[in-house]
Amino acid sequence: MVKPAADWTERSLDLSRLVSRAGLGDRAAFATLYERTSSHLLAVVLRINRDQAQAEDILQEVYVNVWRAAQTFDAAQSQPLTWLTSIARNRAIDSLRRKQTQPQMQSPRAASGGAETEDEDVYDTVADAAPGPLDLLSRASDARALSQCMDKLSALQRQSVALAFFHGLSHAEVAEQLRQPLGTVKSWVRRALMTLKGCLQAAVTLDGVGGKSQGSG
Amino acid sequence: MDYGRADLADRLAAEYAAGTLRGAARRRFERLLPAHPVLREATLAWQERLMPLTAALTPVQPSGDVWRRISERIGGKPVEATSPGAWGRLAFWRGLSAFASVAAIGLAVLLANPSSVPPPVVVVLEATATGPAGASAPAIVASISGDGASLVARPIVAVSVQADRSLELWAVPSSGAPRSLGLLPGGSGTVALRAKALAGADTLAVTLEPAGGSPTGKPTGPIVYAGKFSL
Repeated sequence: MVKPAADWTERSLDLSRLVSRAGLGDRAAFATLYERTSSHLLAVVLRINRDQAQAEDILQEVYVNVWRAAQTFDAAQSQPLTWLTSIARNRAIDSLRRKQTQPQMQSPRAASGGAETEDEDVYDTVADAAPGPLDLLSRASDARALSQCMDKLSALQRQSVALAFFHGLSHAEVAEQLRQPLGTVKSWVRRALMTLKGCLQAAVTLDGVGGKSQGSG
Repeated sequence: MDYGRADLADRLAAEYAAGTLRGAARRRFERLLPAHPVLREATLAWQERLMPLTAALTPVQPSGDVWRRISERIGGKPVEATSPGAWGRLAFWRGLSAFASVAAIGLAVLLANPSSVPPPVVVVLEATATGPAGASAPAIVASISGDGASLVARPIVAVSVQADRSLELWAVPSSGAPRSLGLLPGGSGTVALRAKALAGADTLAVTLEPAGGSPTGKPTGPIVYAGKFSL
């Protein structure tokens, strides 16, 4: 069931029409849009807020928002799947603020029965059997031919980004998970993101995906 | 802070998209977005970069109850069952003509090929200070199709109007008389625009008229919503 990221753009093209039609009040198109995207968005939300009932409430809010905002969606500016995923992530992150619900992570402290090695990747493993954030990151980056640039990051940089992005952890929470100073984690994340940016821009050029030209900034 | 600075905007946008910008800073950032094109552009670019990472997630099917609740909240009668696969590609295309509803009059052809037309122009009609009790929503958002052939209006929140009143939408030219574009029951509606209906106009306005619209063809009631635009 894992969709390779390569067809992100392809799926988006198809969804553009549905969003446009939904924007004009076409409920059938909106139903189809929901049918095609809700399981992805729920997975995104659940990564950040692991309470199933809350996640479904958030999903409901997301689609009501999408319905209302559909006519402002501009296909020239962003891909529908990106737009939808961003809305879902933002809602999920907001829900953490409101409900103080934290993802249930395996705590390094709780896990340490005594012999805790530096190399042990306890941080990668979430409490359930789902793939850890690093697995996800490497799967996604494989799909986008990003593994090379991800390799350039230190393991801790990668973990920081994965924890923040997939689990919606704040800098402070990442720092706590990794037991590193806040400032260090902040700069890891920042540098990792900038490296990622460079890589993705190169990848975008290769894929011919980007409609926009990015400044060399 | 100067949010127009590209490097700062890029850094904030990256943290916003990655999710590490939190709390008050996140809310401030969201408030700034609409007014700062540099921030907005940087954010869109970062979202485009990072969101595909989620493609690796294994989809999780929501319970059927979620769609029922959404359907109720968007004010429609629940659209047919949403069992997985019921909305297959084929069914969708087969049903397309059947669903070319009132809302989509004249637009089906246009939308079949959205890339060939310019993007819609969105006009926000703010409630005017003088608006009487009839104006109960902060704003109405109107979207003019890229080819100028139609307009879709929708209030931010539902508008309630007394039973003996109607909301009427006007195109107001910089000089000359306003032209009626049609009625907006409850502040929402789809309006097919006559050729040149918007010619020379720079403002959309909604007035409160007797039920059925202005009897004279000119606005007779107070302006309750207005917004500037340019095509």
